[in-house]
Amino acid sequence: MKRPLYEASTQYKNWRYSPERLSQIRTTMNEAAVGVIRKTFEAYEPGSSSNVSFVNAHEEHLLVTFYVHKISQLCGHFRFPEEVEATATSYLKRFYLKNTVMDWHPKNVMLTALFLATKTTNNPISLDAYASHIPNTVASDVLDLEFLVSQSLAFEFAVWHAHRALWGIWLDIQNLPDSLPDIAQTQKSIYDSALSHVRAARLTDAEFIYTPSQIALACISLVAPALAKKWLESKANITIPENQTDIPPRPSAAALSASIEAIESIITETGKVPNVEAVREVDRRLRTCKNPEKVVGTKAYLARKAEAEKKAEEKRNKKAEGQKTNGAGDVDPFGDPLAEPVKPGLVDYDDDDDDD
Amino acid sequence: MATKSNYGWLQGRTVRKGGHASSNSHTRSSTPQVQSTSTTIFGGGIKDPSGRTSEYFSMDDQCPVCKSDRYLNPKLRLLVSSCYHKMHVHFSVSPCESCIDRLFTLGPASCPNCDKILRKLAFSPQTFEDLGVEKEVAVRRRIAKEFNKRLEDFDDLRSYNDYLEEVEDIAFNLINNIDIPATEERIAAYKAANAALTTLNLQREEAEALALKEQEDLERREREARAAQLAQQEQQEREERQREERELIDKLETSQKDAHKIVAKSRIAAAKRSSARAASSSANSSLLGMSFGMDYAKLLKTRTTKVNNVPDEPHVPFLDDYYAYDDLYTVRAEGYDDIISEAVRRDREGIMRAGGYKVEEAWNRALLTAVAGLDAAPLSGLDEPNSLGDVDVVMESV
Repeated sequence: MKRPLYEASTQYKNWRYSPERLSQIRTTMNEAAVGVIRKTFEAYEPGSSSNVSFVNAHEEHLLVTFYVHKISQLCGHFRFPEEVEATATSYLKRFYLKNTVMDWHPKNVMLTALFLATKTTNNPISLDAYASHIPNTVASDVLDLEFLVSQSLAFEFAVWHAHRALWGIWLDIQNLPDSLPDIAQTQKSIYDSALSHVRAARLTDAEFIYTPSQIALACISLVAPALAKKWLESKANITIPENQTDIPPRPSAAALSASIEAIESIITETGKVPNVEAVREVDRRLRTCKNPEKVVGTKAYLARKAEAEKKAEEKRNKKAEGQKTNGAGDVDPFGDPLAEPVKPGLVDYDDDDDDD
Repeated sequence: MATKSNYGWLQGRTVRKGGHASSNSHTRSSTPQVQSTSTTIFGGGIKDPSGRTSEYFSMDDQCPVCKSDRYLNPKLRLLVSSCYHKMHVHFSVSPCESCIDRLFTLGPASCPNCDKILRKLAFSPQTFEDLGVEKEVAVRRRIAKEFNKRLEDFDDLRSYNDYLEEVEDIAFNLINNIDIPATEERIAAYKAANAALTTLNLQREEAEALALKEQEDLERREREARAAQLAQQEQQEREERQREERELIDKLETSQKDAHKIVAKSRIAAAKRSSARAASSSANSSLLGMSFGMDYAKLLKTRTTKVNNVPDEPHVPFLDDYYAYDDLYTVRAEGYDDIISEAVRRDREGIMRAGGYKVEEAWNRALLTAVAGLDAAPLSGLDEPNSLGDVDVVMESV
């Protein structure tokens, strides 16, 4: 049995969760972070953490969602393509599955995620131009977090997007046997409103649970259910060629309908920009409960920095010592004699971040 | 001087352009070849059969012995002694030829500054401004003659590198006058031990140079042959054309047919012939080109002394067991009514497609995304499909 291509993507392998698992990740991470930060507070000023009101997992998520919305505003300002916006959104959301807003404020991470997305989707912009268009931002603000963000994303930069799937479905609908030849013109409003649903879906967790094609289909189904059904059935009815026994079974309309409905409800219920007042309130409280080790100038920050430096120093010393002991032996300073060239291995073509 | 030669043409003398360009105030283009000094002795003076290397020459030259300088005696020629003493104004920066003749007519005499015995034969023309370089070149030429071992003569790279290091040590010592007697002893010992190999390598080098020369000769001959053939072809063509014209005129004179018809007929025939000729000549030239390419490859092969025999590995195409949904969709051959790619498709000059962009590929990718993972069931519950236990790792590590 052959493996479907999508299942080879990192998105399928590493960034797919059940709804329960998602909320569990957020809750446990929030609890762990609160524990760590409370301990830090206590370590430097005993008793100071008792009256701090920490943000909870739900509030964190609210804040992140708000900054997801900010990304699309910023993309509109820069006139970035849809792909950049979608990719940056995914990066930001993925980042906060592994980090907490109390360590890294999304207003900073957002900028880095967007800048990273321009690079990974091959829509580069110079760092200076980028930073100069954003108030109160210098190039180093963007770059400082870049490695951290990349690390949190596990360097998995390729993202499959629902808007592309929507485009594909819209193209393929023209290929349906009984569709009008000018359907793309006359029914363009279907595509436009479906696209707005795709954009709303970016504010939700849909991409962590469902595949891009499912989300796109659900968005069409929200606008024109009959059309979506017709297209899906046309796909389900393609017969598997006799000589190909090793391909997976066809998507079945019945099994999919539950997923489609679930996505529809996710989009209609949570695909909204959070209330600004609520976000402001969270942000105000966040100022008091930020991890002091990450706030420049505090005692905890300085202590942490000193500790890090000590560690680095130790590491350096260890390395120097290691070199000294190594140097005693008869080691050719130019390295060993050149070995026969290694037989070139097969190139791993497992990356799917090509651009269209 | 420069002015003089600039007006040489006025006096009916030939003015050599290239020679003039190089004979500025620092070099002399024509090194006199009569002097035995430049060819027979160890060291000094670059021996260059092509004659492109010129003797060092400066307007400030002055003989340290008789004090005559270039202003008084434009033909002044200074020679370098074999002790290369830069410090000693006297003999190192070179007495002039006539002084040498005068001083050494009675046989060898010692250098007044160092005690080295100098002979008339050991004076050589100067090529480089810096006498240190002059000396180094001489030393290295001498060393290279003796120490000509190659990588193939050693068991491994390490010992070859050791050998090179030793050679470099010796050269350094000789250049900088460090421990000369000991170094000479080392050279003598090496010479005795490796006489056979040295001669063998010398022969090898000669053989290689010969082979290279032969290759180049062959190539040159082929080029000439090709040029001759081309010229012959052109000649033939010209003759043929003339003949055709004559025939046409004859026909027009004698025949009773319509003149227009005759002209048209002969034109068609001429066109046929010329196309046939073009075809045959292109076949010919491609043949020649091929043989030339092969020659060149052969030449390259002889140039690289060591031929690497790397066996060709069979090409293994990249095979995977992925299913790319290719039976679930087809890209419509006639294209789509698509507003997103409209600008690209309307771009007649192909500016947007310059980098190899193909709208069909973008469509293909979109269609693939549209059907990819349609049937993937969402995860449910808290069971972990893949060990994603590193949720907090990043947070802790930074």
